[in-house]
Amino acid sequence: MASPLEQFVDNVRTMSASGSFRELCEVIGKSDESLETLDIQQHSLGVLAVLVAKFSLQQGGDVDKSTMFKQIHDFITNCNGEQVRFSPELYAELCHLLTNYLVEIKQPIRGIEILKKAIRKIQLFDSQLTSIHADLCQLCLLSKCMKPALEFLDTDVTGIGSELGGNNDSKHFLLYYYYGGMIYTAMKNYDRALYFFEVVVTVPAMVVSHIMLEAYKKYILVSFILHGKILPMPKYASQVRLIMSWLPPNMLLSNIAIPSSEDKNMGLVNQVLSSMYKKNIQRLTKTFLTLSLSDVAARVQLTGPSQAESYILNMIEEGEIYAMINQKDGMVVFLDSPEKYASPETLCVLEQQMAACTKLHQYIQEMDEQIQVNPQYIKKSVGSHDEDIPATSQNSKTTYSM
Amino acid sequence: MFEMNTAEPMQVDVPPEDNENNETECYVVENPTLDLETYAASYTGFAKLYRLMFVADHCPSLRLEALKMAISYVMTTYNVSLYQTLHKKLAEAVASAGLPDVAVQMGSQDIPVLDSIWIESKTKKAAIKLEKLDTDLKNYKTNSIKESIRRGHDDLGDHYLDCGDLTSALKCYSRARDYCTSGKHIIMMCLNVVKVSVYLQNWAHVLNYVSKAEGTPDFNEVPGKDSNQSILTRLKCAAGLAELATKKYKSAAKHFLAASIDHCDYPELLSSNNVAIYGGLCALATFDRSELQKQVIVSSSFKLFLELEPQLRDIIFKFYESKYASCLRLLDEIRDNLMLDMYLAPHLNSLYMQIRNRALIQYFSPYLSADMRLMAAAFNRTVNALEDELMLLILDGQIQARIDSHNKILYAKDVDQRSTTFERSLAMGKEYQRRTSMLILRAAMLKNQIHVKNVGRDTGPQSGEAPGSSTSLTPRTFDTVPL
Repeated sequence: MASPLEQFVDNVRTMSASGSFRELCEVIGKSDESLETLDIQQHSLGVLAVLVAKFSLQQGGDVDKSTMFKQIHDFITNCNGEQVRFSPELYAELCHLLTNYLVEIKQPIRGIEILKKAIRKIQLFDSQLTSIHADLCQLCLLSKCMKPALEFLDTDVTGIGSELGGNNDSKHFLLYYYYGGMIYTAMKNYDRALYFFEVVVTVPAMVVSHIMLEAYKKYILVSFILHGKILPMPKYASQVRLIMSWLPPNMLLSNIAIPSSEDKNMGLVNQVLSSMYKKNIQRLTKTFLTLSLSDVAARVQLTGPSQAESYILNMIEEGEIYAMINQKDGMVVFLDSPEKYASPETLCVLEQQMAACTKLHQYIQEMDEQIQVNPQYIKKSVGSHDEDIPATSQNSKTTYSM
Repeated sequence: MFEMNTAEPMQVDVPPEDNENNETECYVVENPTLDLETYAASYTGFAKLYRLMFVADHCPSLRLEALKMAISYVMTTYNVSLYQTLHKKLAEAVASAGLPDVAVQMGSQDIPVLDSIWIESKTKKAAIKLEKLDTDLKNYKTNSIKESIRRGHDDLGDHYLDCGDLTSALKCYSRARDYCTSGKHIIMMCLNVVKVSVYLQNWAHVLNYVSKAEGTPDFNEVPGKDSNQSILTRLKCAAGLAELATKKYKSAAKHFLAASIDHCDYPELLSSNNVAIYGGLCALATFDRSELQKQVIVSSSFKLFLELEPQLRDIIFKFYESKYASCLRLLDEIRDNLMLDMYLAPHLNSLYMQIRNRALIQYFSPYLSADMRLMAAAFNRTVNALEDELMLLILDGQIQARIDSHNKILYAKDVDQRSTTFERSLAMGKEYQRRTSMLILRAAMLKNQIHVKNVGRDTGPQSGEAPGSSTSLTPRTFDTVPL
């Protein structure tokens, strides 16, 4: 039943690929009518193709963009997910177009809800990553409205949509993790942010993309805020060395620290500085029971007792240290953490953590099982087994005994 | 025996590349109380020359004397190039002495002048001897008598060593290996290689050959118990030296402690005094109290070593008796002399630091709280300096305590095992989750063949710099076992 539809899609595709836009325009001129005749629910693929073709013809300028938002909105709400999943590239392309348009007219917040819906529609399961994720994060960042993206960011990805992999560009994958890291940084969830930036930097790479470079800068800064030092990268992050050779961390810090530099990491750098002071004060709590404010200032290299006092006050309020200030003689009394790990809350947290760990472990086992029954894998392992036999008599003995 | 020889490939001709001890620190020792005569008399060969040169480099007051002794010693060998360098150094030393009248006076009397005739004759003689040894070796080889070939190689190695060509000597000694027919020969070969490797400061090589010698099957059945003991002591000394040089002070101490005084006759490398000092200091820096007592103080063999160095003996006893102030003061007294020891000097600071830290830890260990003023007095320090030192130790986890800076009291910290266990297990759980989810994501990434490649349109400005063009980038084949 879909053959005329497919033909139409084919027409549009070949024409836009070969650059014969004039003919395409005619087709599209007709297609607007055909759009009316097609039903979004029943002929989702066809409508999708038409929409993409229509809106990607921007240089023509004739296409009326004002209707774009509404049309895409309608399509995404009403389209048939099963059909659309056959052409995830087109679907993603449509979303990218919408995103670009919204960014252009500076109304990013309008797209957030649609994109959320779009993602849910195309996903096979909750933890699948699609290239639309990156668009959503971008819009959230631009509109400074981070919360909607969090529900996607918080689920750890276990599968990746086909339009992201294969021979396609890894741009959207990198962007998702880069934007995600930025969102987490903005939410001051530095732990997650570090994780996201690390993903960007450790993506297998033949060349270093600009996104990775920026992510690496932010990785260093966040790492300083969180741990006070640069964490070592995992071994498989081969290309990190390449980045490092361009940008040794020390040089990077001094570069970024110059206010006039073009880097937009100034806010993070300032946070690094203040977190350094905080880290040092936290170290003091481990070694001292009492210490005068002026001594604190001297050891942490703050300008004076009053600045030390304000830092300590802030940290006490945020629960980062446990201390009391005796203003009479200017002494700080550091206390132990009151947490005794005996409350029901602790037990609850512990149970949650354990459940999460078990879940991950189960998933790993499932993956392992999948590999065990993978024909390719079996072929390979059997193949190597065959090679082993003619080696030496001793070897074959051991293989048999196994 | 024979099998083992053939089975293992020759792997000796590796050039000594890991000499990382090249950082020649420029320090000057002003007034040592070293008697150069006796010091030099306890060494022979390169050990003597190197040690004298080290003293000359770092101690202006002994420079002339040391150089003179070195020159007179080098005259007994074929080492012409070293003779020339020594003379050059001597000339510099005389020129920079700054006391012209004294120098002139001494110069007229007993500063040796460059003897060009000696150089010439020695060079000639060395060449002749080399040729003779070479032809001998060739003859042996045509007759293929293993024992003779081995000796020929050894003789050649000795000669090279005499001429100062260490790398060639090493090669000759290790070539002898293929012609060893008994365990004794192998051990001799190992000793030779170890000796030259120490001169070359190739410490990995030293340890390698020491373990090879120790692993020789009939090492323990070599006839004559005495010679066996002396070989063992030599190996222990060499291993200790290598461990010291690679900053593994604890195992160095153990090696030195295993040396036996009656058989400690190794003037090519170390004197017994060296063994005492190296072993004593390393033990002091790394052993805990009971180890120190068992292995050093009541050790019958090492006791005799310590008798050679009464100062060090006192130091160790004072340390054991917790008289830290006098112990540290004595250590400072012998510091200058130790700085003139070529093997110990680079490690002296860290050893002293470790001894000091250990003293601090031991001092505090029996207390629940300690007055820092008293403590500072016991360690010859101001309270503030002590506070800094303690802070570093606490941060390092070596002392479980906290400082009451207001009252200047150090309190032992009672660690709540339960809370720390909770803390650590929660942290570990977080780490596990993070790593595992990273792993899953990476597996998915590889499965979908996501990688940054040179597409050229929107990967960013850097993409142009990569050498491979987009056509050459074939997608990574699916790895069946990700990670």
